[in-house]
Amino acid sequence: MLFGRTKKNPIKLTDKGIVEWKYTTCGYCSTGCSIEVGLNDEGKAVSARGVGDADVNRGKLCIKGILEYELFESDGRGRIPLMRDRIHEPFKQASWDEALGRVSDEIKGIQDKYGRDAFAVISTGQIMTEEFYTLGKLARGVMGTNNYDGNTTLCMSSAVSGYKRSFGSDGPPGCYEDFEHTHCLLAIGSNLPEQHPIIYWRMREAREQRHFPLIVIDPRVTMLAQNADMHLAINPGTDVVLLNSFAHVILAEGLQDEDYIKANTEDFDEFKALVAQYDPVTASGITGIDEDTIRNVARLYAKSPAAMTIWTMGINQSTHGSDGVVAINNLNLITGNIGKPGGASLSITGQSNAMGTREWSSCSGLPGYRALENEQDRQDIAEFWGIDPEFFPKKRGMFMTDILPAIETGQIKGLWLIATNPMTSMPNTARIRKTLEKLDFMVVQDAYADVETNEYSHVYLPAAIWAEKEGVFTNTERRVNLIRNVAPPFGESKPDFWIFNEMAKRLAPQGKINFPETTEGAFEEMKQLSKGRMLDISGMSYDKIEQQRGLQWPCKEGEDMGEQRLYTNGEFKHPSGKAKLIPLPFIDNNERPDSEYPFWLNTGRVVEHFHTRTRTGKVGNQNKFSPTPYMEINPDAAKELGIEHGSYVRIVSRRGDAVLLAQCTQRVAKDAVFVPFHFHDCVNRVSLGLLDPHSRQPAYKQCAIRIEPIADQQAAAKMNLASRSY
Amino acid sequence: MYKVPEHEPDYAFIPDVETPEKNRYGKAIDLLAGNDELKGKSLNINGDNSIGDNPNRYKQHGFYFNADNCIACHACEAACAEKNDTPPHLAFRSVGYLEGGSYPATQRLNISMACNHCDNPVCLKGCPTRAYTKFAEYGAVLQDPDICFGCGYCTWVCPYNAPQLDPVAGHVSKCNMCVDRLEVGLKPACASACLGGALDFGLVETTPENCEQLETQIPGFPDPSITQPNIRFQQQRSLPREMTRTDSTPIKYVRDDQNAKPDPEVKGGQSAYHSAPLSSEGKKMQWGLGKLSSRENPLVIFTLITQAVIGAFLVFFLAPVFGFDAFNATNYPLAFPVSLFVLIGLETFALVISTLHLGRPHRFYRAFNNLKYSPVSREVAAVAVFYNLLGAYAVLNGLPQLFAWLPGNVLGFLQQAAGWLTVMAGPVSLYFMHAIYRIEARPYWNHWQVLTSFYGSMLTLGAILAGVFMIPLLGSTNIDYSGLFDGLMWVMLAGLVIEGFGLYRHAHYLRHATGEGQAAHVEQTITFGKSYWSRNIVFAASAMMLLWMLLMSDSSVIGWSAVSVFVVVAAIIGRAMFYVMVIPTTMPGAFFWKNPLFQDHAREAGLAEMQQVGVQVETH
Repeated sequence: MLFGRTKKNPIKLTDKGIVEWKYTTCGYCSTGCSIEVGLNDEGKAVSARGVGDADVNRGKLCIKGILEYELFESDGRGRIPLMRDRIHEPFKQASWDEALGRVSDEIKGIQDKYGRDAFAVISTGQIMTEEFYTLGKLARGVMGTNNYDGNTTLCMSSAVSGYKRSFGSDGPPGCYEDFEHTHCLLAIGSNLPEQHPIIYWRMREAREQRHFPLIVIDPRVTMLAQNADMHLAINPGTDVVLLNSFAHVILAEGLQDEDYIKANTEDFDEFKALVAQYDPVTASGITGIDEDTIRNVARLYAKSPAAMTIWTMGINQSTHGSDGVVAINNLNLITGNIGKPGGASLSITGQSNAMGTREWSSCSGLPGYRALENEQDRQDIAEFWGIDPEFFPKKRGMFMTDILPAIETGQIKGLWLIATNPMTSMPNTARIRKTLEKLDFMVVQDAYADVETNEYSHVYLPAAIWAEKEGVFTNTERRVNLIRNVAPPFGESKPDFWIFNEMAKRLAPQGKINFPETTEGAFEEMKQLSKGRMLDISGMSYDKIEQQRGLQWPCKEGEDMGEQRLYTNGEFKHPSGKAKLIPLPFIDNNERPDSEYPFWLNTGRVVEHFHTRTRTGKVGNQNKFSPTPYMEINPDAAKELGIEHGSYVRIVSRRGDAVLLAQCTQRVAKDAVFVPFHFHDCVNRVSLGLLDPHSRQPAYKQCAIRIEPIADQQAAAKMNLASRSY
Repeated sequence: MYKVPEHEPDYAFIPDVETPEKNRYGKAIDLLAGNDELKGKSLNINGDNSIGDNPNRYKQHGFYFNADNCIACHACEAACAEKNDTPPHLAFRSVGYLEGGSYPATQRLNISMACNHCDNPVCLKGCPTRAYTKFAEYGAVLQDPDICFGCGYCTWVCPYNAPQLDPVAGHVSKCNMCVDRLEVGLKPACASACLGGALDFGLVETTPENCEQLETQIPGFPDPSITQPNIRFQQQRSLPREMTRTDSTPIKYVRDDQNAKPDPEVKGGQSAYHSAPLSSEGKKMQWGLGKLSSRENPLVIFTLITQAVIGAFLVFFLAPVFGFDAFNATNYPLAFPVSLFVLIGLETFALVISTLHLGRPHRFYRAFNNLKYSPVSREVAAVAVFYNLLGAYAVLNGLPQLFAWLPGNVLGFLQQAAGWLTVMAGPVSLYFMHAIYRIEARPYWNHWQVLTSFYGSMLTLGAILAGVFMIPLLGSTNIDYSGLFDGLMWVMLAGLVIEGFGLYRHAHYLRHATGEGQAAHVEQTITFGKSYWSRNIVFAASAMMLLWMLLMSDSSVIGWSAVSVFVVVAAIIGRAMFYVMVIPTTMPGAFFWKNPLFQDHAREAGLAEMQQVGVQVETH
């Protein structure tokens, strides 16, 4: 030593005594990072690290992944099934047999009395693909309810719908490696540093090696916007106009890829006629982006040898979310930027397995991107499952956002919720409370007993989380990755897969449909069903997936690796084999600010939290960065309203009000505020959530509010504290 | 040995690159140049006696922060928390930010900061227990929580918030540079985890790949001359003229005037930023009494009592020397020794109270361990010397019968010697006490006013305390008290004048100090303005009253008592303000994390009861 003590003392550092590392995939967002969980000699999970040779994350993890191992023993986990007759009664503990028996009786009772569709199932994007497949088999093949959807309607259904409308099928055509090839990156309503830090890292590394322009379109000065070459601070809800105007400039100046358009698209003339209306001058009046900037970006994009667009909820959670996705696809189709390195429409997905549910859950149809509307698909699945094809409806039923209103008006009497928390996540909390109260029966299946929606359940089934189970997730770039079982389920909680299988036994006791005992067995069924299809996974196995640290589909039998991109040959999934160029007239149906409600309300994520905080709200080293709800407000607006930085304020809309802390920052425009959506009894008491006509996804990001300072800060603090059980 | 994971990517390894021989402060980067005797020794990490094979083991390492790139994703903080298993209310590394500009041309400058393993480790020098060591290996400054007794002095002197005082564990802990990872060539966990291309680590004075600057400062980072930190920066993106903090520290950072550069011909290029106080315009002057109580309350009591006891002893001992016969010990065969033992009792109480300020009071004896560097050790030692001499004097003079076996002249000599030594030790110990507060990172304290305040209090409170001892004796003996209270009043007056002059010059100094000093002045004149001015007025009025009574020969015990009560109350409030008004030169916080306003709110509102809020409920 140099100075300090004269005698060297031994150094003590934290030693977690890790004896084994186990391979899994992160259970938070859909980036799909490979994680190794470190176990000590008691088999307890004590550490996590990124897997160095995994292509997705290359050894890195974000804050949530680094601390994910703490979830195994976090507060609020459900230990044992709970039951009660009426929602105002206290819960009583129950055995699994009692609880599952009760649930199956209630399902049968309601379906017998009111019809099969009177019992709805709403699942998630959080559980494993094999579990989705099994639930789909149970819901479509055994229960036969057509009111079966996932909470992915709240996040990705606009992307799904947009992909289907343009390309004839769901499935993100690009991959992360595209960053290494692109010459222009357009990011719309996507804040990678906060929402997908690892994808940001991949993008940034690629951009450091070989600089390419990054253009961010976002009404808020996000960290990505700040780091972009150009930031287009767009008026909320006007993306389609801007994208139409880009197309206008490209076509007007003859910058389009004529050969690609001719060979691979249809309806070009209708599209051209429509975008002709969106000259940059007209567009600048609506979007707030000046005409020169519109022309500049359009030219840059069109002239790039390869250009790509990424987007997240800024596009999807809008009244024209599906149109926004189609507009992005249009832009990439006319510039020939689909299916080539560095050219892509890449939706950056939210939940760890939003893709898995899109592919295999049967929510929007039948497994493996099959449609209920397609007779052959119904036939194939019915045969594979061993049931009568006539058991399937011929048209998909309601979306999640339509199921809840159908409960409100009495068409649906029973509900099974799996790993989703509409009490916090759905717009207009007051309406959701009123809705859930009306159910004859609700079962909540969730890892957390303190999930807010449990307030209205009759039965609570404690589920295992993440690596307490085994199975696969599919990520944003169609990479199927494996979660190895790391820890036993907490308390008496059970894997969702086990719960579905047990329900199947009770609801279809004759055992006519086979439900494999293991997730690997279910995976084998999925492989068979995928053969020859776009999402072919027949070349995969658990061991091979782990070995390769994830495999992209399609990965045909006998192939070592999957394919990085879709539509590389220009062949699309519409019957014509071509992609559609769809004209997108702009209809402004948003609740715009007025004199009574003068502010735009925008919502979004913060990096330390995930969704409704049931997980992240309990991990201190994450939660501490935003332990209580707040709003970003422009300091000039705050000054006019007499609001102090760090004080409680009330936000009021036509739906309700909420109390939160004001954070003054110039990141938001003077007529706009931003509120993180993670907190219970907060922004969704106020939000409107108009539904997209195609995707039925709520427009969380646009509505009008007013803001009031609060004189009695202590009372506000008390009220806020009462809403914060974690 | 730390186990390097299979397939660990290249970015996690420290590049083995050439360094200059010396760093910019003239210190050798090879820490053992010409001193081989420390080479080849194990760091003994967790009892492992192996020796790392890092080829640059004896060179100074440090963090590198590219401020243009930080996205505040918290990956570094999470990796650090995971590696060191820190509870939510603590962090060895924290990210805070500054903001400037206006929508949409606004910029947020995120700053991730941990320990900078400084060339001049003020924490190490300040630590009285020698819990800190600067190692020849990597130049790491490590702290051992098992030695620390939780006085928190290192948290005062460090400008970067690096040492973390844990009120639960009662000790400090801090960044350990992940020396276990360094031993196998890996960067610390935080730098390996960085997702923005912002935080890196390597040999000091070298740039990571793709970086070119080696700056020592960015806006929001304290003056590096204080500690010569081993961190280098890149910050090329032009920032708005003013950058503000989101936490409640009333500081902003303002770009230096381009023309103020040393060479007026040089225009353009990047300018440095300096700290400045936030405008107090529109803010109302307040009492701030509710905010006066702090973790430092024991020190308020300790310093004031110690100063009073020293002052009282000086009065007792020196008054007869100057011919004030009323204080002659021989007049009070019983009261005199009792008074001395009461003084000892008071000082004992003060010392016990001062240990309550420690996280681990039972380790108080470690306070002497760092006499070579630590002002805390020196203060404790000096006060201990005074305390023991006072004890010796009290025993020799108060209980002379114990020493009847000594020849009379020897006893007399010892009595006198003990008295004079105590007289000297008292003010000397106050000098060392004042030295504690001369901290560069705390401009509010770093002024000679601390010394005048302590000496002023010694005189005023000492005279008052001495007077308190005398009051019960008044009238009970036949001694002439004329002049006694006049004498005490002159002493008090001197104390008030000294302290007042110091305060006057201090205010002048603050107005011209760095941003933190100026901001502290704003605090004292606005947030605590009514208390501040009341204290000043009480001091001034008391001095006038004393002078008036002295000049008019109109002194009375009642008048003296009234003035004394005012002075004591004002002194307590003034000392409490001294501890709470200091605005340290330190890293910016975030809106919740490391924001004093939110931390206070979380405690008051009850949010802090939830451990995951990350705010420790204060335990004092």
